[in-house]
Amino acid sequence: MASIDITNVHKVYGRTPAVRGLDLSVEDGSFLVILGPSGCGKSTLLRMIAGLEDITAGEIAIDGRVVNDIEPGRRGCAMVFQNYALYPHMTVAENVGYALKVAGIRQPERARRVARVAETLGLGDLLERKPAQLSGGQRQRVAMGRAMVREPGIFLFDEPLSNLDAKLRIQMRLEIKRLHRELKTTSVFVTHDQVEAMTLADRLVVMNQGLIEQVGPPAEVFRHPVSRFVANFLGSPPMNFLPTAIDRRGRAVVEGGHVPWPELCFDLPSGAAIEIGLRPGDLSLVAQAGADDVLPFDPEILEDLGNELHLHGSIGEISFAVALPAATLVPAGRLGLRAAPGAVHAFRREDGRRVEPRARSNPPAHESGEAAWRSLSLSFT
Amino acid sequence: MTNERRIGRVAAHGVMITLSVLAIFPVYWMIQSSFRAENEIFSGGLFPSAPTFQNYLHVLSAMPILRILGNTVVMAGATTLAQVATGVLAAWALVRWRFPGGALARSLIALSWLVPFQVVMIPNYVLAARLGLLDSVAGLVIPNAAAAFAVLVLYNAMRGFPREVVEAARMDGAGSLRILLEVVLPNLRAPLASVSILCFISAWNEYFWPLLLIRRMENSVVQIGLQFFMTQEGNDWGPLMAAATLASLPILALYLVLQRQVVDSFMKSGIR
Repeated sequence: MASIDITNVHKVYGRTPAVRGLDLSVEDGSFLVILGPSGCGKSTLLRMIAGLEDITAGEIAIDGRVVNDIEPGRRGCAMVFQNYALYPHMTVAENVGYALKVAGIRQPERARRVARVAETLGLGDLLERKPAQLSGGQRQRVAMGRAMVREPGIFLFDEPLSNLDAKLRIQMRLEIKRLHRELKTTSVFVTHDQVEAMTLADRLVVMNQGLIEQVGPPAEVFRHPVSRFVANFLGSPPMNFLPTAIDRRGRAVVEGGHVPWPELCFDLPSGAAIEIGLRPGDLSLVAQAGADDVLPFDPEILEDLGNELHLHGSIGEISFAVALPAATLVPAGRLGLRAAPGAVHAFRREDGRRVEPRARSNPPAHESGEAAWRSLSLSFT
Repeated sequence: MTNERRIGRVAAHGVMITLSVLAIFPVYWMIQSSFRAENEIFSGGLFPSAPTFQNYLHVLSAMPILRILGNTVVMAGATTLAQVATGVLAAWALVRWRFPGGALARSLIALSWLVPFQVVMIPNYVLAARLGLLDSVAGLVIPNAAAAFAVLVLYNAMRGFPREVVEAARMDGAGSLRILLEVVLPNLRAPLASVSILCFISAWNEYFWPLLLIRRMENSVVQIGLQFFMTQEGNDWGPLMAAATLASLPILALYLVLQRQVVDSFMKSGIR
């Protein structure tokens, strides 16, 4: 068991920055997931913790001890690699026991510890096989066993499930979760899969372009994204974004002069551009009506996923997706969409940061925002 | 199978058979000539009319051929071991670490391959003479203890080795030498075998350097021994062929032992 403290860490390859000044601490026993698109620096960060990459600047400390110049094998971390990275010429037992052999532990003790780990992971019958004779899921288990056998303070996972098929991935995900609950070993798990991230994490870190966008419990990151990037990255289908302008009274005005959420008031100057983010699942379908709080929606494609329907279409020029319960009957032709004010996320157009509306105590009567829309010479192309 | 394809296959096999015969015939001629009596040596025909071991007996009495073969085995074996050992270590250093001048070192090693032997012959000879290595097997081995060929082939083989496996070994706490010996080399058997066999053959066929260095017949190697039967008065074909047959047997044996690894390795390098 161990904690990790990362202070102002940078990594530069030649002239290309991969990690640009990052602070993060991982509590003892917690499960941290680092999520981000490829090239965001998440794997680099993990490899710096492991000691496989030099740290250009800053400090990484494990249990309070700065490990910048300590060999990977002496940091008390074990790593599970994306491609398993098993030793091809060794049997499963030798693979799992190799770290113990390097540490100079004698054969009988080694065999006992390997057998214990093999039992936990259900590898008992495979100990004499070579990696080439194993299936993908079995190899993944061996890789986990190799990490577990040393009883390290920290597990590092580098996209360990991305080479497995969908069914096996879910199974291994649960297995990892179960192991963490039993062993309570501090874990850092890198992935680009949001489902893995949401389900495994105690704490979720979303990275983008070498920086941390947001850290927090997965539910909070999902429900309260601090930036348009995070909002867009989490959720499937992704969040819809609707360009709006702020009128004199702080209300968000959509194209055509509608004010769908008059009760929300933004403390922004008149004319400021924001994007309203709406999750597909937070939208409800209404028959087309002229009401001010209904967004006109032209459906195009209906995807039936079995447990729910995804309706893809557009509002004006902007493509929109709606997730609906499976039993919904979707009428043909133009429809309307409605979202509760509580489901509205808003992000500043210029930097993508979240802006929080303040709820009006006494919402004014509906009043057209058409004039305001016309007076704002904004383009949302 | 259509007729066209059948014709294509027959033609392809025809070409391959012709090439094989062309390659094997001189070897066959050497072996069958070694069993011919002296008066029959220039006559045609694919088989000796009265096979005889006379030439072999002559070779055995005319020179210490077994001693010479022994010398050659020791020389070629030691050279191969040294070249593979230095090649493995040099290649590992070049693959494993990025260090200033690493790329330069690699280019220089590759360049040294292109330097003809004649350029280094005299400095090598002077050095060997000063070190008292003239007329000794050690003098044959030491200047050839490192070969650019071995370094470069092993460099390529190691570069193709998955980086993650090496990293996994580092995470398991293994040091660099240990990773090389316990993780990398056991997976490079095919390239090691092919490098070894090629180094061995090239050392075995070494002619010019032993010719410069060796004075006495009992320190000689087999390629020099063969020359013994080529005189100004004419070549002694029968014994020459017998000695040449004896000289090729060890190579043949080695090839048979390592054949599978070598073919594997060539096939893989061809596919890449």
